[in-house]
Amino acid sequence: MLLRIGGFALGLLFSINLWSQHSDTLSGTGNEIVVTATKTERKISTVAVPVTIISQQRILQAGSLRLNDILQEQTGLFLTAAFGSGVQMQGLNPDYTLILIDGEPLIGRTGGVLDLKRITVGNIKQIEIVKGPSSSLYGSEAMAGVINIITDKPKANALKFSLRYGSFNTADLSLNGSIRKNNFTYQGFGNLYRTDGFSIRPNSSERAIAPIERFTQQHNISYRFSNKTQLSINFRFNNERIKNIISVNNNGTIIQSEGLEKNKDLNTTIQLSHRLSEKITNNTRIYATEFSADQELLTSNGTPYTDFFKQRFARAENQTDFTLNKKLSLTTGAGYIIETANSTRYDKSSNTKTNRIGYAFIHSEWKPSDAFTIVAGARYDDNELFAAAFSPKLAFQYKFNPKFSLKASIGRGFKAPDFRQLYLNFTNTAAGSYSVLGTVEAQKIISELNRIGQISSLENDYYRLSELKPEFSTGINIGLNYTPITALSITANIFSNKIENLIDSRLVAYRIGGAQIFSYLNVKNAFTRGVETDLKYTINKKWGFAVGYQFLITGDKDEINRIKNGQVFTRDGNGFSSKLKRSEYVGLANRSKHMANFRIQYEVEKYFANLRLIYRSKWAVSDKDGNGLFNTNDVFADGFMQANMATGKNFTNGIRLQAGCDNIFNYTDVLNLPNLPGRTFYFTFAYSILNTKTK
Amino acid sequence: MKKAIGVIGFMAVLAACSKDDKGTGFTTVETITVKDLAADTIIGITPGAPPTGGMPFGAGKYSFYSLEKNQMVASSDSASNKWDIAFRGTSIITNSGNRGPAAGGAFVFIGLFNDLKTIPKDSSFRVENAPTAFAIPSGSNRGWYIYDGLNNLINPIPGRVLVIRTATGKYAKVEILNYYKGGITPAASASDAVKTNSQRYYTFRYSYQSNGSTTF
Repeated sequence: MLLRIGGFALGLLFSINLWSQHSDTLSGTGNEIVVTATKTERKISTVAVPVTIISQQRILQAGSLRLNDILQEQTGLFLTAAFGSGVQMQGLNPDYTLILIDGEPLIGRTGGVLDLKRITVGNIKQIEIVKGPSSSLYGSEAMAGVINIITDKPKANALKFSLRYGSFNTADLSLNGSIRKNNFTYQGFGNLYRTDGFSIRPNSSERAIAPIERFTQQHNISYRFSNKTQLSINFRFNNERIKNIISVNNNGTIIQSEGLEKNKDLNTTIQLSHRLSEKITNNTRIYATEFSADQELLTSNGTPYTDFFKQRFARAENQTDFTLNKKLSLTTGAGYIIETANSTRYDKSSNTKTNRIGYAFIHSEWKPSDAFTIVAGARYDDNELFAAAFSPKLAFQYKFNPKFSLKASIGRGFKAPDFRQLYLNFTNTAAGSYSVLGTVEAQKIISELNRIGQISSLENDYYRLSELKPEFSTGINIGLNYTPITALSITANIFSNKIENLIDSRLVAYRIGGAQIFSYLNVKNAFTRGVETDLKYTINKKWGFAVGYQFLITGDKDEINRIKNGQVFTRDGNGFSSKLKRSEYVGLANRSKHMANFRIQYEVEKYFANLRLIYRSKWAVSDKDGNGLFNTNDVFADGFMQANMATGKNFTNGIRLQAGCDNIFNYTDVLNLPNLPGRTFYFTFAYSILNTKTK
Repeated sequence: MKKAIGVIGFMAVLAACSKDDKGTGFTTVETITVKDLAADTIIGITPGAPPTGGMPFGAGKYSFYSLEKNQMVASSDSASNKWDIAFRGTSIITNSGNRGPAAGGAFVFIGLFNDLKTIPKDSSFRVENAPTAFAIPSGSNRGWYIYDGLNNLINPIPGRVLVIRTATGKYAKVEILNYYKGGITPAASASDAVKTNSQRYYTFRYSYQSNGSTTF
């Protein structure tokens, strides 16, 4: 005992211990239930598409607070830093990964990014990550994949809290409670998070991570009418206040600005599930969510700048699951979505912008034999404002033997143009009076300006504005799973995504006087290809490790063609122009060719420790030679390695203590990783006050 | 503030001769590199905070240049045929249209400087029609440069050759090499003060064909 406590103290002080946790989360038994892959409960070992599950225990033992903390340690996921923390999956931008909480989409993206810091991990049971286009079930945004956060629904009367304190006065308090009585269940969760924020830029009062206070609460009530029928009501509210002091040194004069940002995120779900017979289950869900962002910037000399954005999303969906026989099951569903937005970034914040979507999907799963599963499905989304989207998917899994299985899937994903791309109305009076207009606004405004003689020329692209289409991806995933012994599992997945109709801004008209008007068009095509592999090995009852690696190639086919045709140039050592070679092309910015992670863990009885390494190779950040694409002559951020560790102990009296150190090597990059602080420490105290198992 | 007009017209006579085939005219043009041509360099910053204030500004004067003589031309000669091109910030104008009394002009050729051996016959030279149309289009990614907003830097687009019809109706080709003092673009991490104070210094190379032909 003394020895163990001694070891614990050493771990705290010198960070020499490396370890962690229950072996079951390391290798997985294949029996974990996953819902995201098929919208029905399935054992992970039977799912035909690439799925990763992150368990609650792994989240706890990594000492994660927000969703981005735990995702950054997963193979093939990279967390981007613009407009909050977004996730890059299979090399696709954060715009193209759908984020769900208990199966319902989160809204409120800025610049296409949904800030994952809005999501606390304090009440997560597991995170399910499905890679590859999944629009055949989920519709818009599921181009790269889907991340579904399943919140915890303990089957006990329980009350527990957890308090964590760490560097930059970062404090996190979570309270979880649940009551179960007869057919009634209530779960409540509250989380308070605050930080002073930080800046790694020397002599800067502006912080890369601004002081933030967040409060999240979630309540779930469910009532079981009978064994066949259950009603569940879920409510989630997240409220955050971000303060920032910005001081600009203007030729010796310091101009102080104070920014205040208030974000609110409200989600409610009512779900009625009813088992009609042994073979048929029906689920009706009504979901409503609202996101609002209010920003105010007060400058010591000048008028305040305000920005307001509010988005609402309401959806009714009905889903029916049929188990026709042992070999064939069918899932069908249909729904209707009304989405609105108001913003000062549009023509008038009082004008509500609306889009309506009706959709239907069908999926069938056929098991001709025990070893063989085939899934086929499709979804049709009819949009009021732009072209419809049809998203099919086909997947199969074949188990050669208990040790070796093959998965393959092909699917189509799409992302509907967002409100910004339709309704933005922005004119920069400070720099040349250029305007950026959403396509709907652009057509209206330009034709009106043209009528009153204010347009000097219309570009060809103007005439294409009415054809705005969703962005599409076609993805192929082929995966192998090899489990030679129970303790060892190796998976490899080859992926190839072709992305078409990418939306970008283009010049569409000139005003009289020369000011330019830009709008959005489907103009680009891109591809991402690669391999991801994971190896997990449980050495013995105490030790285990896991290694993950992703190799990624990205590019734009049009850019490659232009290079091949000798139309792209760079500069040689003398500064003279030269033709760019194909081998000098590096593809899309902000992508690393190599990404890897390593995790080693140790666990004895109730004591654990772990060490996690995350590596990312260099990535292109800016186009230094001005040729409009990324090549070896451009500016790259250096590759880096981040190491995190944690250690803790569960005592029998319900107390859990944990301590950790993130970024042990103190790696920082002021320019390219402003959100990565140097070495940080934290300490967690958690206490389970009550935990009574009920039947 | 005074601009450092005393430009160091620096001759780096690179052996440049266009090849020639027997028979037809035998031409030899040299390639000249001009360094640190100050083009309305920054003399102050407007008071206030962005977006209305905080903008760096120069004296607002063009720097005039004679490609024929390879030297600066005084501002007082702006209404004459003595200059061929002029620079102010990112704007490059020719002695033509509503910007000068001569019949100059220009267009942007996409390709390599050395690959432009003869101006294509179907080329159409544009003349100045400020502010709606410039011979060399103004703005980022439209004429000779691209603005890197992320790092606040101006980069000349590689593979752009400014084909100039001079004040006297001769032809020249110009490649802009750099926009910063010493011909070195500041690092992305450099301070805004460094980027502001070292900008608007052109380094470019050019060939001037004095015989009036369109071949270099």
